Amino acid sequence: MPAWFTPDRETWLFRVNPALKFMIFVLLLLITLFTRNLPFVSWLAVLFGILLYGFSGYPIRKLVLLSIPLVISFASSAFTMMLFGKGDAVLWQWGILKISEESIQHGLLLGTKSLTFGLVGFTFLLTVQPVLFFYAMMQQYRLPSKYAYSFIASIRLLPLVVEEIHVRTNALKVRGITFSRGMKGLGERIQAYTVPLFAQSIRRAQRIAIAMEAKQYQMGAARTYYYPTSYSRIDVVFIGVVVVSVAGVMLLAFGMN
Amino acid sequence: MKKLTFTDLLITIMVGVVFGILMKFWDDLYTVVKPMMPVARQLLYGMWFMNGVFAFLLIRKPGVALIASIAGAGLSAFIGHGLEVLIYGFAQGLAAELLFAAFRYRKFSMIIAGLGGILSCAASFGLDMFYGYADLETWALVVKYGLRAISAFIFTGVFAVLIVRALEATGVTQSIRPVAKEEYSLLDR
Amino acid sequence: METLISHQREAALSMTNLRLKFPGEDSLLFKDLSFSVNKGEKVLLLGPSGCGKSTLLQVASGIVPNSFELPMKAEKLELPDSWGFVFQDPDTQFCMPYVDEELAFVLENLNVPRQDMTALIVAALERVGLHLPDIHTPILELSQGMKQRLALASVLLMEPEVLFLDEPSALLDPEGTDQIWTSIQAATAEQTVVIVEHKIEQIAEWIDRVVLFTDDGAILADGPPDSIFKDYKEELIRYGIWYPGVWDDYLDSKAFKTLSENRSSISSVEVLHAEEFNGYRGKKSVIHMPNASISQGSWVTILGENGSGKSSLLLSLMQLLKTSGSLHVNGKQVVQKKRRRTLPAGLSLVFQNPELQFVTNTIVEELTISLQGMSSMGAVSHAEEMIELFNLPVSGNRHPYQLSVGQKRRLSVATALTSSIDILLLDEPTFGQDARNTFAILEKLESLRRNGMTIVMVTHDLNIASNFATDCWKVADGKLVSCTRQGGVADARLVYT
Ligand SMILES: Nc1ncnc2c1ncn2[C@@H]1O[C@H](COP(=O)(O)OP(=O)(O)OP(=O)(O)O)[C@@H](O)[C@H]1O
Ligand SMILES: Nc1ncnc2c1ncn2[C@@H]1O[C@H](COP(=O)(O)OP(=O)(O)OP(=O)(O)O)[C@@H](O)[C@H]1O
Ligand SMILES: [Mg+2]
Ligand SMILES: [Mg+2]
Repeated sequence: MPAWFTPDRETWLFRVNPALKFMIFVLLLLITLFTRNLPFVSWLAVLFGILLYGFSGYPIRKLVLLSIPLVISFASSAFTMMLFGKGDAVLWQWGILKISEESIQHGLLLGTKSLTFGLVGFTFLLTVQPVLFFYAMMQQYRLPSKYAYSFIASIRLLPLVVEEIHVRTNALKVRGITFSRGMKGLGERIQAYTVPLFAQSIRRAQRIAIAMEAKQYQMGAARTYYYPTSYSRIDVVFIGVVVVSVAGVMLLAFGMN
Repeated sequence: MKKLTFTDLLITIMVGVVFGILMKFWDDLYTVVKPMMPVARQLLYGMWFMNGVFAFLLIRKPGVALIASIAGAGLSAFIGHGLEVLIYGFAQGLAAELLFAAFRYRKFSMIIAGLGGILSCAASFGLDMFYGYADLETWALVVKYGLRAISAFIFTGVFAVLIVRALEATGVTQSIRPVAKEEYSLLDR
Repeated sequence: METLISHQREAALSMTNLRLKFPGEDSLLFKDLSFSVNKGEKVLLLGPSGCGKSTLLQVASGIVPNSFELPMKAEKLELPDSWGFVFQDPDTQFCMPYVDEELAFVLENLNVPRQDMTALIVAALERVGLHLPDIHTPILELSQGMKQRLALASVLLMEPEVLFLDEPSALLDPEGTDQIWTSIQAATAEQTVVIVEHKIEQIAEWIDRVVLFTDDGAILADGPPDSIFKDYKEELIRYGIWYPGVWDDYLDSKAFKTLSENRSSISSVEVLHAEEFNGYRGKKSVIHMPNASISQGSWVTILGENGSGKSSLLLSLMQLLKTSGSLHVNGKQVVQKKRRRTLPAGLSLVFQNPELQFVTNTIVEELTISLQGMSSMGAVSHAEEMIELFNLPVSGNRHPYQLSVGQKRRLSVATALTSSIDILLLDEPTFGQDARNTFAILEKLESLRRNGMTIVMVTHDLNIASNFATDCWKVADGKLVSCTRQGGVADARLVYT
């Protein structure tokens, strides 16, 4: 992972078993997905906001930067639904645009949901190492190794694309290939880079797969793990924190009406 | 039909992951455009259906469209889209996969690819209804999903096909696709 | 052709009447090839570059068609269950980003308990002489020769019954070559080993059997090494295959005599001068040149151990790495900008990894793209000449990646010979070549040199250094430590003692 994605300090969230963390977050997301209760979803969003800002170990500056798209996405899903959504209790109408009580309700709900999804996603991504996550998925939840290694390899291929761009730039330079100026040159450049980059990534993926099989990797065979993962006391703490705070959120949301 | 080898699987998932990342960037563009230009944003939507169709056109094996679609959605779910994307990915991939299966994985034309996109689009419409994204006035509904279907066709039937053709020129597809039966019969000459 | 003994022993692998072709190609690569290896045998496959040796190893291991489908069929195909493979191209054989993870992956597949892993990894690296400060080093940061050692380490860890080695020492320094063969011999006393290798001096003693291939993938001869090298000498020469003593024969040949008789003298014009010049990877200086200069028309060979900084030296001269210090090319100071560096005019480079050179989709395009000044007729005839000279497949429409490693190497060298340049930098241009093509490349370079081109070439082949070069540079531990004029045999040998 690039240096930008290393936290200032590793909080307790990092030590939670990554696969367990994933499962719990998935559960929370499912709950969010199936509720249509605005206060509940809003409080959940607040909860995840606290988790992300308070316990991910990243400086506020980076977190704010990351949150910008989340806010935009909140606003855009909310407004579209408000302006075009169905509803009978019309508050305001202008041509095809119509705002009704229902559409406001609905818009806010959608917006808050997408905000929650974003916050949970970042909290997970920022506090987990992809490789360890897949190792844990294999060890704790019996994810077939063929999927785990395919994902590990694919994610690791991504930084290599940057390397590939570099290689290609060098090759084009050394071979004395020049581009026109202006828009035409831009077009030529895009052509000289994109398709070869794609082809190279596919070729690399194929080679990696062949190399893995040549190292006697067999789909479905028993194996040991270089990075062992297991459950620990911190996982119990984590589950406890989640249960208590979700209960709290429910109380806040449903206890008030 | 040939089963997926580990090589096929790895390439499929890599294609999915790459599309997952592309979709994230696409989505940022999309969210900016969304409130401002409702028509343009629907025309950008086809990108979401490209993943599975592209993977299938590339590798031409059963299961590829579905797996790539899930892998891409799974990744983009966690880089900021939320879990529902995963369900969408599954439904869209499945729709395209069923279409290709109906043609016994032997047709790769623009029409079939485009149809794959349109079916994915239909699947996503089904889910939209379920989640309440489709609670729109009828006229808005028709315009929105009509434009979206056109966009689906353009992205999968035109763009995906063109990119795959460009890749064919680099020779890379030859080594990852199943070998044609005729090639085997040429061995007996 | 089977001997009496082989009837009694059990076969480790065997195939009968194998037919194989590449999709889209008209002709078969193998037509009714039968081949078998007995348990415990050490077999060397010898043949001209492009005859199908690598492909045969891949069939024999089951990589083709299990991981990679090619149209093929065979009457009988018995393949080993437990095997290891060292690939010809160092960049194609790793699946993990770090050295320790790569080796651990092998151990994971073998179900080795975690607590034993680290010790095994360290021991394996020791065995192949890959000394790293930290085993958690990115593989990307290893030199090509270091990667080849790592590949071998992971195969040795597997302790397979059958070992397939596809030119494991092509990129190694002489010391490394010895070391590798010693450890392979020690580790595989009982095992079956199938080797493809051009550098055969070190192993001629050790192998039991040589299988000789013709241009078109047929078996020409099969037998113990001594008799093959004696009885088939004429064919070995005809097909341009290495055999022990080939260099001596070449040096005695008419071709070389005429070449060396009237070697033009080197002019006194200085075309390149470097002073307190450094090349960096990241913040680290990987090559330091205190003071060096090159005269026009000279042929400089750069020698040095794996990972000492030879490739980095060429890349730095070419301004593809970040550099500092003073560098003059053709009398002009090279400006070292931080970003968007431009290449010094008149300089060109052939990368160590041939694949890095290619920018187009076909062989012919590859050969003609840099000839912008030439008419298209001229360009095409130039391409044809190169295809002929370097023995490349005649259908020039194939993608450069669809070639054997040796062919890729030759194509990448050929692409650099097309443009009008003053100084040509080459990074191991003859690795993985058969004898005929090695000499073809060297003779072509020599003729260019006579026409005024200056050649700077990294190599591990001391024969080249002593018979073709006019200057010999030595690199050690990231520093250019000596520059000697007229590198004779004695000078070249000094480097590795
Ligand atoms: N993808 C491909 N499509 C068509 N032809 C190919 C492809 N790959 C390799 N070939 C051809 O098949 C032949 C055998 O290749 P192979 O790599 O087995 O040769 P080799 O004997 O190992 O040569 P070298 O000593 O140069 O490594 C070569 O002539 C090569 O041009
Ligand atoms: N991409 C890279 N990033 C960081 N360090 C690198 C990279 N490539 C090489 N190095 C390091 O730089 C040093 C010199 O490497 P270089 O490739 O120049 O060696 P070399 O002399 O060409 O070796 P070989 O004979 O094996 O090709 C080595 O110690 C190597 O580990
Ligand atoms: Mg080969
Ligand atoms: Mg090197």
